[in-house]
Amino acid sequence: MIHYRLAELAELTRHLGRTRQVWQRSGAKEWCQADASNPPPLEAGRSVQSAKGFFFAEQEHIFEFDGRYFRETLPKPAPFALIGVSSCDLVAIAYQDQFFASDPHYQARRQQALLVGLECTVPCEHGFCPTVDAGPAARPGTSDLVLHPVGNGWLLTVTSEQGRKSLQGLNLTTAPEAMKQQRQAQLADCERQFPDDQHIRDGVQALNAGTVNASTWQQMGVQCLSCSGCTSLCPTCSCYGVQDQSADQTITRRRFWDSCLYDGFQREASQHNPSDDAGARVYRFWYHKFSDDFRKDFGRYGCVGCGRCEATCPGVIGIHSVMKRISQHD
Amino acid sequence: MTSLTPMVAELVDYYDDGEAARHFQFRLLDQQQWPPPEPGQFFMLSVPGAGEIPLTFTQLPDQNQHWWALVRRMGSVTSALFRLEPGAILGARGPFGRGWPRPGSDQTPVLLIAGGCGLAPLVSQAERLLEMNLGPVALIYGARSPEARVLGRERDRWQHKLALFEVIEQSPGQTARRTPLDALPDVLAHWGHEPGATFMCGPEAMMTALSQRLIERGIPPSSIWLSLERRMHCATGTCGHCYLSHRYVCQSGPTFGWPELELLMQQPVTTQTPPLLSC
Amino acid sequence: MPGKQAVQTICPFCGVGCGMHLLVDDQNRVAAVSPQGDHPISRGKLCAKGWSTPFAIEPGDRIRQPLIRTDDGFRPASWDEALEVIRYGLLDILSQLGPTAVGVISSARASNEDNYAAQKFARAVLGTNNIDHCARICHSPTVAGLKQTLGSGAMTNSAADIDSAEVLVVWGADATENHAILGGHIIEAKLRGATLIVVDPRRTRLAKLADLHLQVKPGTNILLVNALLHEIFRHGWQNQDFLDSRCEGADALRKSVRDTSPTQLADAIGVPAEQIEAMARTYGQANSAMILYGMGITQFVSGTFNVMALSNLALSCGQIGRPGTGINPLRGQNNVQGACDMGCLPNVYPGYQDVADPAVRQHVSDYWQCPLPDHTGLTSMGMTQAALRGEFKGLILFGEDPVVTDPDQNEVLASLKALDLLVVAELTMTETARHAHVVLPAASFAEKNGTFTNCERRVQRIHQAIPPVGEALGDWQWLGAIARQLGSSSLDWTNSQAVFDEMAGMTPSYSGMSYEKLARQHGLQWPCDDAAPEGTPTLHQTEFPIGRARLIPVHHVDIDEPADADYPLQLTTNRLHFHYGCGSMSRKSPLLERETPDGILFISPEDARNLRLKNHSAIGIRSRRGYLETRAIITDDLPPGLVSMPYHFSEAPSNQLTNRAMDPVSKMPELKVCAVRITPLPEGQAPRTIQSIRASAAPPSARENS
Repeated sequence: MIHYRLAELAELTRHLGRTRQVWQRSGAKEWCQADASNPPPLEAGRSVQSAKGFFFAEQEHIFEFDGRYFRETLPKPAPFALIGVSSCDLVAIAYQDQFFASDPHYQARRQQALLVGLECTVPCEHGFCPTVDAGPAARPGTSDLVLHPVGNGWLLTVTSEQGRKSLQGLNLTTAPEAMKQQRQAQLADCERQFPDDQHIRDGVQALNAGTVNASTWQQMGVQCLSCSGCTSLCPTCSCYGVQDQSADQTITRRRFWDSCLYDGFQREASQHNPSDDAGARVYRFWYHKFSDDFRKDFGRYGCVGCGRCEATCPGVIGIHSVMKRISQHD
Repeated sequence: MTSLTPMVAELVDYYDDGEAARHFQFRLLDQQQWPPPEPGQFFMLSVPGAGEIPLTFTQLPDQNQHWWALVRRMGSVTSALFRLEPGAILGARGPFGRGWPRPGSDQTPVLLIAGGCGLAPLVSQAERLLEMNLGPVALIYGARSPEARVLGRERDRWQHKLALFEVIEQSPGQTARRTPLDALPDVLAHWGHEPGATFMCGPEAMMTALSQRLIERGIPPSSIWLSLERRMHCATGTCGHCYLSHRYVCQSGPTFGWPELELLMQQPVTTQTPPLLSC
Repeated sequence: MPGKQAVQTICPFCGVGCGMHLLVDDQNRVAAVSPQGDHPISRGKLCAKGWSTPFAIEPGDRIRQPLIRTDDGFRPASWDEALEVIRYGLLDILSQLGPTAVGVISSARASNEDNYAAQKFARAVLGTNNIDHCARICHSPTVAGLKQTLGSGAMTNSAADIDSAEVLVVWGADATENHAILGGHIIEAKLRGATLIVVDPRRTRLAKLADLHLQVKPGTNILLVNALLHEIFRHGWQNQDFLDSRCEGADALRKSVRDTSPTQLADAIGVPAEQIEAMARTYGQANSAMILYGMGITQFVSGTFNVMALSNLALSCGQIGRPGTGINPLRGQNNVQGACDMGCLPNVYPGYQDVADPAVRQHVSDYWQCPLPDHTGLTSMGMTQAALRGEFKGLILFGEDPVVTDPDQNEVLASLKALDLLVVAELTMTETARHAHVVLPAASFAEKNGTFTNCERRVQRIHQAIPPVGEALGDWQWLGAIARQLGSSSLDWTNSQAVFDEMAGMTPSYSGMSYEKLARQHGLQWPCDDAAPEGTPTLHQTEFPIGRARLIPVHHVDIDEPADADYPLQLTTNRLHFHYGCGSMSRKSPLLERETPDGILFISPEDARNLRLKNHSAIGIRSRRGYLETRAIITDDLPPGLVSMPYHFSEAPSNQLTNRAMDPVSKMPELKVCAVRITPLPEGQAPRTIQSIRASAAPPSARENS
């Protein structure tokens, strides 16, 4: 792995901006397109939305139909770089890369992207990435470049061939060993600062052991307002619905983020609904994130420890609330 | 890559069958070809402007890519389909999923059990069995009422080839509800065989109860196969709607062996029991 | 792709006023929304409706240019042409019948700037006080009731107070469905240890989580309050210091509840006396207790009295004027508070300044530099009645769909048909717009700047994120264009800030506000003036606007239409988390539409069994006023004898059935209860929409008699 010292981040942004659109988080903690010649300061920590929407779009067209032929409407984005993807979100992208490996719409966008990670040096509110092996250090194979703040500058680590190529033409100096050591120290220090995660470990164990009784899930089902906040902000949630729309002579099918917490998610036209119990739907969500059954298929849990569900759930059944509840029941 | 964009298909023909059910014949246009489907597999039919739904084949595509499907008018997509006339341009993707296993000669006699429109996914399996001529075949067919029965032509055709037992849930003058589950002991006694393989499709509660009953009779769980119905939007294992535990019915199903399905159906929160025959 | 930019704004749905960012893509579309993490109320959360905002405002079926009615529908027209038709129409009516024959119905969804412009247009340009908006059908009894008892008709406390209250009383409000983020705060408070008491005929989500649920019979609110007061006075739980120093009328109130013991009233209320006693004990002895209420209080013929009863309860225990207390109406629409504040009511100018007061009128007349009408105007329902009598001929209406949301739709339809000129400005073709002579394309909240005032009196900025669709204009802009057609320059503002500044200059409670100041923090809560430059989270801390609060004894009022042999079930109305108002926005989301696709009726298992209904059975529902068909959903959230319908669905609008009997004070119709009869439709027969029922003749009599 190659490590560089980067004095000015803007140098990298300007360089990448010559061949790509550059996206960074704005002051509102949202991903926005940045003016590469005059980029905003890089913010650490968790963005409100993960980078999921760059690849698995919140809404997109699948095809157009003119009355006789179907024309697939694949996106054709220009090359782009995401600068400052947190380690947990990098893991989530790698997870979705697996899930959407054969999805042409996802891959059309993904293949145009350069991922520049940003490692956190302090835990974020509700975050628990170390518990689920997703941070604070960027995990191998999840990024192209990784940034870590050291002193007034940055340690820039090349983590992929694409990352190496993207730096061609940029004059960089190799990072001294001390910078690498400082990164390690900062990461270790960050990890130590995470609050106790015993409830999550116990909760996951209870979930997999099947020792959580139905009434516990049903009580949490009462608290689920079916707002779709958790599934929208969860960086690994991937369910979608489709809808046909007609305009003039063209019919367009679009897909959009869906949520397994909706009562209508599995309801069939006959009104038969395999998941008509709100408690069953809440269980489903957490089973999908933390079941060993999925772990066998994906090599890891479906949760990357970002804590967004806890932050956004109006019914107080985000990760910490749920794990505390289910780790206390048997 | 697995495209979500359908091939162009045409509505060729249709005829009515039972209550609000209709047989449709489709064909692929523009010399497009599908890989040959297995009995029990399904395809996605697009009615442009209305949406896309999974349908089973009642007759598998022939060499000219013509095939039949039975559709019950239920929601907005099927209602739109029922308004179409031959010549209408549609979209189709497929074939998808795991079909019924091909029974070996050691798996006879074969019992088929269907509830309502659940007979549709069993038609091509029944035809295959009759063609293979492995041994006796029986079909228990349950329906809500005499009028709700479907696939009359097929049942007529099978009359002398398999043992057909029809069970009507509510018929005039009959007070007690009678379902394939109630009829099972009588049917097996009358038929005089214990099945070596059972294939069934119908409401989930009915299939679950039937499987348990068969196992109680000493029939090996691994010889029981079921076909499930789920809401589906992709058939490629990505939209998430047809989840069953950690599997997606569109890929791991729609047919399941009972031992696998029993595991997948285990979950801490059970849902309300649907009506026994609702198709 | 996520947005190229993130624009901070306020959710356009309910009165909670959650903070959100609109993520705008490179084609100037709102690609997504995102919750605003540092917002004081929503704290990084949104409800199902908020999350669906991109669907709600997508341009697909938006009205893009003015439309003029022709013999066979509408034809597109230019703004000039449309304005001309409006001008001739208005001038005709004005010359024949004068300004009492015209009026404006503004919108609780539109901005403060739009609403200020609407009432100024009515008063200064048309010369009439015929200006109203839909607060009539949600919280007019609140304004009428609390104005009398406290002197101010708004939420006395703030959303943040839910966090600090020891006891929370949720009365006739389904907060998790209608004000979901506040509902979430209540869940959070309950989990942290607050005592939650729910008073509701339905077993709402909060009722399921509550420490105490009083499942009262509809229309027994005053009985319950008086029973509680009886118990409180009997045990001496009243706050005597507060009664002595801040209130008047305590003795009369106390006398009036002498014979209203829980034991005596339990049967009439429909809950055991022990529950009433427990509630009295909990509320009466709490250090801080907060009442949050909704339309289960206001939508009765006794609406104003119900509000006054709640006021009596809060005042008697001194649960007002401190953090974690108060009497707090949960307002329905994103800006219903603002529309009231702006004076879109027939009797008050902005800031609730009395139209009938000559000094006030002179002051406003000087400020606007024009003469003003001296008579109180017509309410929206007054306009309906006057139109039916032929005395009211011209109506300008925006952002409202009374054909779906008003009680007694058939009458509303007849009144609209009696108009010579109906101008409707809307985002999409609503049921009401279909009856217009001129339809104007209105800009959505994402397409304009301005302010909304949420239910806790917080004035918050909305920011334009995308250009208006087609030729759409903001409401204050097209109102200004009509004014210019009529020769008036009084609505000639250059931007929304100029409208706000003019408004703040004449509205005492907003006088300390400016766009700059609103931007510095997350809005300001009125009153915001020289005395309270940073706004007022808690009202009535040291005194009431009327000095001492008034305790006014109120007595039970029977519901207008109890169940009887012909109509044996009581129908109440409710709202769903997934939908909003007439559904014109929320139903554009395929996800929300999928949740409850058909228009539905909720019914208890017992009633369903008696009627031989299965879940999702098709049914007909008849009241003395109308007939609908829909599907039944069986739920034990409803007690036997009571059925409930949401009003969001134009195919099966519950307001086809509801009663028009009104609260005499506020003119609020009794939407919360009427008598109905339910009959199953034959097996296999799908419910018909109201449109096809109307198109066919009356339903076959066989069905009626079955």
